[in-house]
Amino acid sequence: MAIALFVISAIVAVLGGLGVVVSRQPIRSVLSLVLVMLALSVQFLLLSAQFVFAVQIIVYAGAVMVLFLFVIALIGPARVLAKTRLRFQTWLSALFVLVLLGLMWAMLQGVQYRQPEKADMNFFGTVQSIAVGLFTNYLYPFELTSILLLVAAIGAIYLSRKRIDDL
Amino acid sequence: MSTLTIGGSQLDASWFLLLSAVLFILGAAGVLVRRNPLVILICIELMLNAANLALVAFSRQLQNMEGQLFALMSMTVAAAEAVVGLAILVDIFRVRDAEDVDDLSELKG
Repeated sequence: MAIALFVISAIVAVLGGLGVVVSRQPIRSVLSLVLVMLALSVQFLLLSAQFVFAVQIIVYAGAVMVLFLFVIALIGPARVLAKTRLRFQTWLSALFVLVLLGLMWAMLQGVQYRQPEKADMNFFGTVQSIAVGLFTNYLYPFELTSILLLVAAIGAIYLSRKRIDDL
Repeated sequence: MSTLTIGGSQLDASWFLLLSAVLFILGAAGVLVRRNPLVILICIELMLNAANLALVAFSRQLQNMEGQLFALMSMTVAAAEAVVGLAILVDIFRVRDAEDVDDLSELKG
């Protein structure tokens, strides 16, 4: 059962990733990426990461992707359509991709897994265990992410403000 | 080789890592091949997602929560990156069309 779930969601994820790269209309790329994220959320569930699964669907597929769709709708789908074609760079990037694939494959062959720490699997990945980590050992990184979000929000407001000379 | 017992069946941790690698490479290829700035941002999101999958897979293999915590942090960073990148893109499109990143090369030193 778990193997079937893994295989199906992996195939969906790879097909979605291909759709992101190949499709000419950016709106189709965005929708393919939503497909990839839903498939990856199934993978997170298989890896017993319930909270990351929920955040993946709510924040990523829900908020970030809708933001992309909003921007496409705001700019106008016709204006973001790719008109030009690549020249020799396609072949170079195909070579790069092959080299990277070989490198990753070689790395996967040499992965040395450490011995698992024998955690309580009933407690693993729950909201409670995430919260214990976030509010004890990782309190300062957690607070820093809130500052990062604040900076990003201020930056977005600054960049998209109405300028005096536009009026 | 490190087998994980998930719902009674045996899955290997390297399967998840291989899927993560394939998705990352697809994203990297997209950044290289596509010229549309919006699609390049989307491909960066794809790569970040692939990295998240690797983090969560290692977290499950080690049975250590820190990988999942770091995946959450990287989701925050991805959201911030998408917001700022899209704001810059909207700002550019307000002035003119930019269906090709090569059109935006005036800023280089």
